[in-house]
Parts: sequence; structure tokens; C-alpha cells
Amino acid sequence: MMTGETSSAPSGKTKSRKPKYSRFSQQELPACKPILTPGWVITAFLCVGIVFIPVGLATFFASERVVEVVDRYDQDCIPPEYRNDSLEYIQSTLTDKTCDRSLIVPKQMKGPVFIYYELDNFYQNHRRYVKSRSDKQLRSKASESDTDNCKPEAVTLSNAPIVPCGLVAWSLFNDTYGFSVKSKVLDVSKKNIAWKSDQEHKFGSDVYPKNFQSGTLIGGARLNSSIPLSEQVDLIVWMRTAALPTFRKLYGRIEVDLEANDIIEVTIKNNYNTYSFGGKKKLVLSTTSWIGGKNGFLGRAYLTVGGLSLLFAVGFIIIYVFKPRPLGDPSYLSWNRNPAGI
Amino acid sequence: MLQEADIGVGISGVEGMQAVMSSDIAIAQFRYLERLLLVHGHWCYRRISSMICYFFYKNITFGLSIFLYEAYASFSGQPAYNDWFLSLYNVFFTSLPVIALGVFDQDVSPRCSIKFPLLYQEGVQNALFSWRRIIGWMINGFCSAVIIFFFCTNAMEKQAFNHSGKTAGRGILGATIYTCVVWTVNIQMALSINYFTIIQHILIWGSIAFWYIFMLAYGAITPTFSTNAYKVFIEALAPAPSFWLVTLFVSFSAVVPYFSFSAIQMWFFPMYHQMIQWIKQEGQSDDPEYCEMVRQRSLRPNTVGFTARAVARTNRLKDRNRNHSRY
Repeated sequence: MMTGETSSAPSGKTKSRKPKYSRFSQQELPACKPILTPGWVITAFLCVGIVFIPVGLATFFASERVVEVVDRYDQDCIPPEYRNDSLEYIQSTLTDKTCDRSLIVPKQMKGPVFIYYELDNFYQNHRRYVKSRSDKQLRSKASESDTDNCKPEAVTLSNAPIVPCGLVAWSLFNDTYGFSVKSKVLDVSKKNIAWKSDQEHKFGSDVYPKNFQSGTLIGGARLNSSIPLSEQVDLIVWMRTAALPTFRKLYGRIEVDLEANDIIEVTIKNNYNTYSFGGKKKLVLSTTSWIGGKNGFLGRAYLTVGGLSLLFAVGFIIIYVFKPRPLGDPSYLSWNRNPAGI
Repeated sequence: MLQEADIGVGISGVEGMQAVMSSDIAIAQFRYLERLLLVHGHWCYRRISSMICYFFYKNITFGLSIFLYEAYASFSGQPAYNDWFLSLYNVFFTSLPVIALGVFDQDVSPRCSIKFPLLYQEGVQNALFSWRRIIGWMINGFCSAVIIFFFCTNAMEKQAFNHSGKTAGRGILGATIYTCVVWTVNIQMALSINYFTIIQHILIWGSIAFWYIFMLAYGAITPTFSTNAYKVFIEALAPAPSFWLVTLFVSFSAVVPYFSFSAIQMWFFPMYHQMIQWIKQEGQSDDPEYCEMVRQRSLRPNTVGFTARAVARTNRLKDRNRNHSRY
């Protein structure tokens, strides 16, 4: 903070007390001081518009190219005699859960065609649900009894640990789908539907299901206890908890192309109970593009914001042409317009 | 007296260091007082008020995005982001740029601060920390958070988010929203600063880069610690074009409201220091007549203190008539 001459001392007698000058401590570093002149503002909006609109068009058309077939089946798959008592139907082990549906392919779907199940009103992101799992136990056999977070699905009545424990695993989705077109069965590939990092690092290859779904209340699928967890891909996909209450999870892939107007016969085993909480189940067949699945939002949003920016740029240009800022006119100073205060 | 005053300034000199030891600020010569008040006082006021407003803004943006997520998690208390992301937001990714604002920012150069002493009145009359400005910044934070959250969730909802058909889970969506928040608050900082040295560039863009590096590093730690952030960037986000497109789109859209407001304000309703910036930019600040006229304005008898402010408020009309006749 001390600038100016040296202190007035006889030269050679007392050392100067002036601190060493440096551009940093004197806050004189080379700097650029941009201000929002009309030129910059118009340029910025034009740039945003020029970049966003082509990207928006590319994204929008990519999303439009995706072909998607969505079929809600949970209401229609209840047999007529149980229409008023869906809970009785779904929880009974004696009723036949097979359901046949027909889907029409609207446009040609180039393989691979991805199969998803979509659940609605299912809060996989609830805190207590998300907490109810044991990552240690999933990873290695040695931590089998690490089931503290998993209550109430932690141990059996005889205190043996449940593997995998917790509500997330217990509620594993167990509807199955079989596809055929023109009486030819379509193969559903289950390879690579789970993330690699999950399969290799989060689910151990020496961990086998034990005492799973052994209680009175069954929440979902049963697991084959001779397959290690790292190969139980449905479980791995399910255990990656979804973000929102409406979500899709990858069930499998059909590798062949599906032609337009094909009728796909789907054989569904309607096992999963979404009736007790008003949830919905949907089957989704979808292709993908470089951007992913079908969602026109990003493309449309890019176009909207790009268009708005161009509109702003044009507006600013018009204002600048008709009402330019009078340069240096002192009557525009606010203390001259409003002299008594700030 | 030094101790009783709001700010005590001591002058060190041949009479000893007693005044210096009991003062808040020490200077070496009496004439440095002008610079202390007009340059550093003005800067200090502006830096502190901007810093506090910006702090409110960035924390509201962050906190509101978490709150909005709760509406989709049935208010169970599940945060959208990984635990360590939550803890380190204010430590690593958004704290250093605030230092760039609060320690180094200069809205006008020292020469202009001395040339236009009326700028000091901004502090006296609390022009930069009025309730209107504070609430304005809070509303800015609110709007940014709403834009970020809803654009991200609508762009990355249930459909597959990359070419291999996988859907976005909580870890992926959380990391995406967090990335957008970090980008937005740092771009907002870049728009708020008036003075860009190499330090500002390093702190602002460095914080953003550090976030990506942190995602890589944290994602490489064993899943025992990193839980759902394990390899989230390297495996899921980085290869997916939709992540980069969503980040680009959301970050820029979230600052468009502030940018437009700022542009219109700078152009049509500039504040004092912005007027000085305009004058400096157009080369008028060297005009001696003009500067003299401006400087005259500040030599008024009652310009400090509560009484003066009250007088100025009530006597606005009288003052206007009197001053128009002067010019």
C-alpha cells in the first residue's frame, strides 16, 4: 500500500523503508478489462446462436431417427376374472402369469434393437432403499456376513446371512419376455447389458447367491445359486439404482433387423408386483443413434436457445442502429440526471 | 479514538508506533490517506459486496439443485450427488475463483479512482450491497438452479443415453448435474469480474479442470470409497456425446438471463463505476474539463454519515433545482 518516494532520510545513513516493488503486490499485473460493449454482446449472442442451431438440428434429427415401440402391459395382462383384485392375482403362486402381446413395428429398426422394461412410480432413489445394500458383500465372499445396512433383508430367521442382502436385491425385477416374429423365435442377447466396471469390480466372481428370497415375503426374482454374482447380469443392471421414479433398465438385445410393419409376438411372464403401489410396467423396444435413445428435448432446447440468442442479437443490433449510446455525453451521468444522490 | 472508530488509521512515524499498534490500518505518510480511501477503500467495498452476493448465489444454485432432486426422490433425503462431491463443492471447485473476485478484482484503475472521488460514495451510500442487489443475486441463483436441474433431467431421462443402449442411473445423472453446476457458477464468476489477469484465468478455468481431474481420480479409487462414482467419468460420461452436449447447453443457457440483464444494464442504466469504465474505454477520461466538472460534484459539505444520507434523501428535490442552475 505504500507508493511514492522513499522516506526522507539522509542518503547512505538509514535504509529505505519502501517495500520491494513487485507487480503482484502493487496489483499492477498485466490485465485485460473487458466491458460489455454492444459489440461484445452482439458477438456473444451471435456465436451462441451460430453454434447452437446446427448442433440442435443434428441432435434433433438423430433423435427423430430412433424408432421406439412402447407397450404398457400391466393392466391388460391381468386376466378378466382378476380385474378388480389385481393384488390377489399377482401374489398368488397358482395363477398363470403368461401374457401374450402383439407389437407392430412402425418403421424399419436396424439391429441391435434394445429391449427395456420401464417402471413408473417406483422410487429406486429413496434414501432408505438406496442404503439397503452391502457393497462389500457383493464384492467378495469373505465379507459375506457384512449385512448391517441391509435390514430387514439381512439375515434369515436362523441368522444366516442372505447373499445378496438388502432391499435393492430383494426387489429384483422378474418379468421375462420372449419374442418371435412370423413364428420365428428372436434371440435375446444378454451380453454386455451391464456396465463393465460393475461386472468386474463391484460384483465378485466368487460370490454365489445364498438364502436369497427364502423368507415368507418374496419381493422379486429368485437367483440361480450356481451362477456367481458377476455373471448375474439382470441383478447387476437392477442394482445400479435409477435416478428418477420413472426409469428404464436394459433387459437385452435383439441383434437382427426388424422390418416395418412386422408383428412381434411377445410372451410376457407378468410376475412383478407393481399393483400394490400403483406402479406401471411398460415394455420398450428401441434402436439407438449416436446420441442415445429417443428424446427430442435436447434438440429442441438447443434450437430454442439458439433461436432466442439470434433474436437477442438482432434486437440489440436494431437498438444499436436506432438508439446508439451517445458517447461521452455528460448529461447521461446518473448524478446529473438525479443529482441529489446515488 | 482509533479503537472506538469503525476504522482506525494510524500513521507510523518519528513519534513512535503506538498509533500503528492500536489501529486497523497503518500508513507511512499522511498523504497516503487519499489513496487508502479512494482507491483501496472503494475496491475493498466493491470486492466484499460482490463476494458476499456471489457466495449466496453459488450456494443457492447448488443447494436448490439438491432440493429439486428431493422432489423426485419422495423427499426421503437422498442427495443427487455422491457424498464427497457434496463435501468438496465449497472446498475445491468453487472456492478459489471467489478469491479471484474478493482479493484481486478492480473495477476501475487506481488512476480513475483518484480522479473520480465520487466513486467512494458508492460505499458510503451502500449502492452495491442494497437489499435489491442481494435478492437479485439470490433470484439469479434460483433461476440458474431451476434451469440446470430441469434441463438436465429432461435431457437425460429414461431413454438410453449412449450408443450402446445403457440408461443413465443416479450416479450418472448426479455427476452430469454437478458438472453443469460447476461450469455455470464459474462462468458466472467470469462474467462478474472486471479485471482479468493470469491469476483469474488460472483460478477460474483451473477450478473447472480440477473438477474433471477429481472425477477421474476419485473414480479410480476402489468402489469401497467411491461407491457410485466409481469410473463414472471415464467409463460412462466421457465417451457419451450426450454428456458433453448437455453440459455445453445447460451451462450457457443458465447464464443467458444474467448476461442479458448485465448487457442491458451496462448499456442503458449504467452505475457509477460502469460509467467510469465507459468513459475510460472511450478515451474521455483524459479530458481535463470533463474530469474537473465531475470532480467538483464530489466536493459537497455533507457527504458522509447517517445525517448526511438522511438529508440527501429528503432534500432530493431542492438539490436538483439548485444543481441545474449551477450547470
